[in-house]
Amino acid sequence: MKTAWTVVLGEVRKSLLVSWTYRVNMLATLLTLAFIFLAIVFLMGGGKLKPEMVTSALVGYLTWSYAAQTISDVSYGLRGEMQAGTLEQMAMSPAPIGLILTGRVLATLIIGTVQALILGIALVLLTGAGLPLRWAGLPVLIATLVGVLGFGFVIAGAVLVLKQVESMFNLLINILAFLNGTLLPVDAMPTWLAAIARTLPSTQGIIVLRKILLDGRSLTSTWQDRSLVWLLVNSAIYFAVGWIVFATCERVAKRQGSLGQY
Amino acid sequence: MESSYAIRSEALSKTYRQRNGVPIHAVQDLTLSVPPGQVFGFLGPNGAGKTTTIKMTCGLVKPTSGRVWVGEYDVWRRRSAAMHEIGAVLEGTRNVYWTLSAWNNLIYFGNLKGMHGKKLALRAEALLHELDLWDRRNDLLRTFSRGMQQKVAIGCALIADPPVVLLDEPTLGLDVQAARTVKEMVRKLAQEQGKTVVLTTHQLDMAQELCDRVAIISKGRLIADQPVEDLLDLFSEDYYQIRVQGSMPPDLIARFPEMTTREDNGDTILSGPVADQGTLFSLLGRVRDLHLTLISAARTEPDLEEIFVRLLDAGEAGEMARPGSQGSTHRGEE
Repeated sequence: MKTAWTVVLGEVRKSLLVSWTYRVNMLATLLTLAFIFLAIVFLMGGGKLKPEMVTSALVGYLTWSYAAQTISDVSYGLRGEMQAGTLEQMAMSPAPIGLILTGRVLATLIIGTVQALILGIALVLLTGAGLPLRWAGLPVLIATLVGVLGFGFVIAGAVLVLKQVESMFNLLINILAFLNGTLLPVDAMPTWLAAIARTLPSTQGIIVLRKILLDGRSLTSTWQDRSLVWLLVNSAIYFAVGWIVFATCERVAKRQGSLGQY
Repeated sequence: MESSYAIRSEALSKTYRQRNGVPIHAVQDLTLSVPPGQVFGFLGPNGAGKTTTIKMTCGLVKPTSGRVWVGEYDVWRRRSAAMHEIGAVLEGTRNVYWTLSAWNNLIYFGNLKGMHGKKLALRAEALLHELDLWDRRNDLLRTFSRGMQQKVAIGCALIADPPVVLLDEPTLGLDVQAARTVKEMVRKLAQEQGKTVVLTTHQLDMAQELCDRVAIISKGRLIADQPVEDLLDLFSEDYYQIRVQGSMPPDLIARFPEMTTREDNGDTILSGPVADQGTLFSLLGRVRDLHLTLISAARTEPDLEEIFVRLLDAGEAGEMARPGSQGSTHRGEE
């Protein structure tokens, strides 16, 4: 257990250090995200910034940025490790690679939180929209991120076996932006599309977060209307499936002898 | 429980399947034992199966059949314990993070082995002093020379002080000075620290200089596994080098099928075993008949490179090399 904790913390530390060397890129990404958000809400408001629409979209957008960052970091990050030859060194740890990857995703979430805070504050200041932060939102965000972590494992597994799949993940990130309720609430979607959207990672998290942050509802209330229950089930399934898929893909890559090949 | 072997493999095989389903037998039925505290050379031409074997030993490639142990631990059944026993620098890759400093690389790889705190910091400090990198510990690796980066990679492999170190082509791409530094490190690891070092290299002079024992693998099969001295003895009798002036065209080389040829300072050296005086005169007669200018003919001791070539030739011909009466290569069973 102690070894596992050391490995996870070591990976978090390393990922933060590596990310710091790319801080200029991260700043450029933040500016791009802010610009895209402003452009979208401007268009959605018919050329005007409507504060209530901006607030609702902002909750979804910030949550989506976590998911996008995780997907991007896991896919491009693992590819980078393969190209550099460091993935095989990682795989020689006594700890499973999945655990090391958990450390990496945790680092991504730490960076994502800092980015979301900067982005959120900047957008609130720029648009004049309010973002009523409440502590009850934190466990909901954590539950959402557990699901995103599981989804990250699925992607990492695919990278290990299929290798050059980043373009597919870019597509996935964009699909998520449209389907997880970031911009268009799931309730406004056709029934069949809403059903698909609700199965995606982060969709249910955005729904519950909006209820808590924007409608002022309590955790108990979201539990009673089952939206929180579905979020927990959804995230638990994503995490479990993600872990199993990753472990399977790791075994396949080792059988193919392609763990470090790109 | 102490194991009497640092590494042991038993009927280890790996078969890859190409996209069209055609199997490639990268390693076949490899049974090998590496005693502790030795520098063990694992030699073979490109594509012989060396790296696949190393990666199976490191738990990175799953064997199709057979087993491999590091110390007393089966790599695929007690992976976690086996990984504590091993450190490796793998071939042709960077192995380390160029965007991190030497210090942070060592700390990270120490963390991956479960080390932390003061113990890790002291070990990293000692290694950086030993590698002569202490003054540049905070510099990013991308500012280092190739040789210095390789030293950091070796340091990372040693951070948890593993009893077994695998070095896959550790001097590849290094200049003479850097290669010499790595060689010195290998020597110290075995002689002063009692570690078992498994070394793959194409630099056979280095293998001859450093290794206590070598195994030669060709097309996935073990064709020799002996102490270096015994291997050198295999061809020590009746071995001749005939030097002729200038380089020889392939059609002339083909007239000496029993000899290996190489160029040296513009001349051609024909080397090989000569069973008796009659054979020697026959060879010299061919030199005369082909109007080649003979410079010298001398009995000599073959080096590991010569032996390597001859063993591979024997392997190609389908015979397990059994050259002469003084000894024989074997398939690694102890």
